[in-house]
Amino acid sequence: MLELSQQAIFSGLLVGSVYALVALGIALTFGAMKIINLAHGELVLLAAYMAYFIESRTGWNPYAAIPLAFAVTGVVSVAVYLLIDRIREHRELNSLILTFAIGIVLTNAILLIFASDVRSTGSPFLQDAISFHTVYAMKSELTAFFLSLAVMAALWWWLKASWYGRAVRAVSSNRDAAMLMGVDPRRVELAAFLVAGVLASVAGVALFTMSVVQPALGPALTVKAFIVTVLAGVGSIPGVFCAALLLGVTEAMTVTLASSALQELVGMVLFLLVLFFMPNGLFGARARRG
Amino acid sequence: MIRRSFLAVSLCAALTLAASAKAEEIQVGSHMPLTGSLARSGQSFREGMLVAVKLFNESQSRHQIKVSLIDDESQPAKAVGAVEKLVSDGAVAILGGYGSNIVGPASDTSNRLGKVYITAGAVSEELVRRGSKNFFRINNNAGYQRGFEGMVEELKAAGVSIIASTREAPMLLAKGLEESLAKKGVKVTLHAFDPAITDFKPIVNKIKLQDKPDLIFMSAYENDYVGIIRAAKVLKPPVKLIAGAWSLAIPKMYQDFPDLMQNVVGTTPLPYPVDVKDEEGKRFVAGFKAMFNKDIDYAATLSFVKTMVLCEALARAADAGTLKSGGLADEVRKTSRSSPLGPIVFDAVGDNPNFTLSMGQHQDGKIVLVSPAEQSTGKIAYPGLPW
Repeated sequence: MLELSQQAIFSGLLVGSVYALVALGIALTFGAMKIINLAHGELVLLAAYMAYFIESRTGWNPYAAIPLAFAVTGVVSVAVYLLIDRIREHRELNSLILTFAIGIVLTNAILLIFASDVRSTGSPFLQDAISFHTVYAMKSELTAFFLSLAVMAALWWWLKASWYGRAVRAVSSNRDAAMLMGVDPRRVELAAFLVAGVLASVAGVALFTMSVVQPALGPALTVKAFIVTVLAGVGSIPGVFCAALLLGVTEAMTVTLASSALQELVGMVLFLLVLFFMPNGLFGARARRG
Repeated sequence: MIRRSFLAVSLCAALTLAASAKAEEIQVGSHMPLTGSLARSGQSFREGMLVAVKLFNESQSRHQIKVSLIDDESQPAKAVGAVEKLVSDGAVAILGGYGSNIVGPASDTSNRLGKVYITAGAVSEELVRRGSKNFFRINNNAGYQRGFEGMVEELKAAGVSIIASTREAPMLLAKGLEESLAKKGVKVTLHAFDPAITDFKPIVNKIKLQDKPDLIFMSAYENDYVGIIRAAKVLKPPVKLIAGAWSLAIPKMYQDFPDLMQNVVGTTPLPYPVDVKDEEGKRFVAGFKAMFNKDIDYAATLSFVKTMVLCEALARAADAGTLKSGGLADEVRKTSRSSPLGPIVFDAVGDNPNFTLSMGQHQDGKIVLVSPAEQSTGKIAYPGLPW
């Protein structure tokens, strides 16, 4: 049982790091604009297909696709923002419907272009197993874990130290006051969407290297990312990472100690419990106090 | 001489035109998941259906089948709407879709509207327990079950771990296998998993450290197969063979994932390279190549057979003058024919009791039929694993 639990915790941490990568983009736009981008999962998926495109056409390592993936997801992110920007009333609610519709359009565009086949990396290097005593992982999973850490640190630094990052926080805190300080909220929101596009591109490529992608995957990614965002609480980037790892480990331990059929259910129960007892999320309230 | 040739050509043209003019057009409706989560299977179903209709229309001149196809987007409600629309547009029968949860309500609607519904993509037992007189299906859960059970017996496996998606069809197959193999003295452990799972290492680790079976059987879909085998490749459980159900022993899986598929076994009607013995199968292979420039696959074959069965029944009913008076269901029920999937007949509840599949093993890009022994086209690699 000890060996089983060790592997479950290790696997859970690795899977959780990918949840974090996917969730960071949603957390950023949700935190900055109070907009839940329901097409974020499709953006991640789009990036994953760019990785497939580069690997299948050139034979290169899928991570070489990140610039192309960013170009594509960046353009789509800007387009999504420009559409959201046209909403004049009830922006939070109407943007939900709009981004949901954009997600459907993107899913079907991916289906038309790449067909409905399942795709994943063929790189033997990335699929090679690495063992640490009694636990095992693929190289792609470890790469994604460290990439996730690096991306989270970079995002945290960007929000804390860069002008645009501070502006994003200012707009999210008080849009009118930020405008009075000379911040153009539209430019700042656009920047937030672009950064979310960068995060989606990294997440998509990482997902392609360690898992299987298919056109219908987008909504599942969005739901998972949303759960992580709510678990973490708005405004906490390290919180997103910790919440994602917590979700990953909880799911893996459920498979090991109970049944794999309960994995998603336990994740949802965790989500509901946190919503019920800590409506600000696991890390949201503490961050605000700080 | 020139005048005589001209007259002959003119006569032929006139006769052809006359024949076409006399051909009765029969409108058939179809709903398939061309988009959404089942799109991969839906697209194959569409291709098989189109080839069947083309070959049938070319094979005779009395009846021309015209199919109107609606994408049900892998959603039951859309499928119900599609059936209603197709029937209101004049469809006399419905070529059904894919997935028991979609086919169920869609075929209920078709039955309520008094139209025959035929499918090759729904294995739930509930569908044939309803007692609908207008429902027919080519394949069923028992056929898949028989295929794997036969192989377990031939290999004399002592233990089997089943990894099954909680979706209806995979779980039905898994539970059927669990029960039947246990009765035969095989130690069976069932690991059900939620379809949203992508990391299978915790499950495979349980199999490695606790179950220690001879065989792993995956009752799932393509994306799950890839995840499970990849996890197994990392953890290397001490099993002798990995097998699975539908859409596994197909050339596309080897082409897309050659490093994962070697020696993996799945249910299949045909070996690859395709080797069909019967004339109809040969025409299907050639027609499919001509239309889509690729080899037939498993789902397309199922769809081809169901479409041919319906086309023939439509023609018989039209000839008998009973097409519009409810005679089509009786004509479908009278079906007794061979096919690339084996003999096709329908019992009182519209099921095809003869449906059974062989087990095919991926061997260096080929699919070799390895079980049952009398159908085998090569020797099974056993123990045989992808790593």
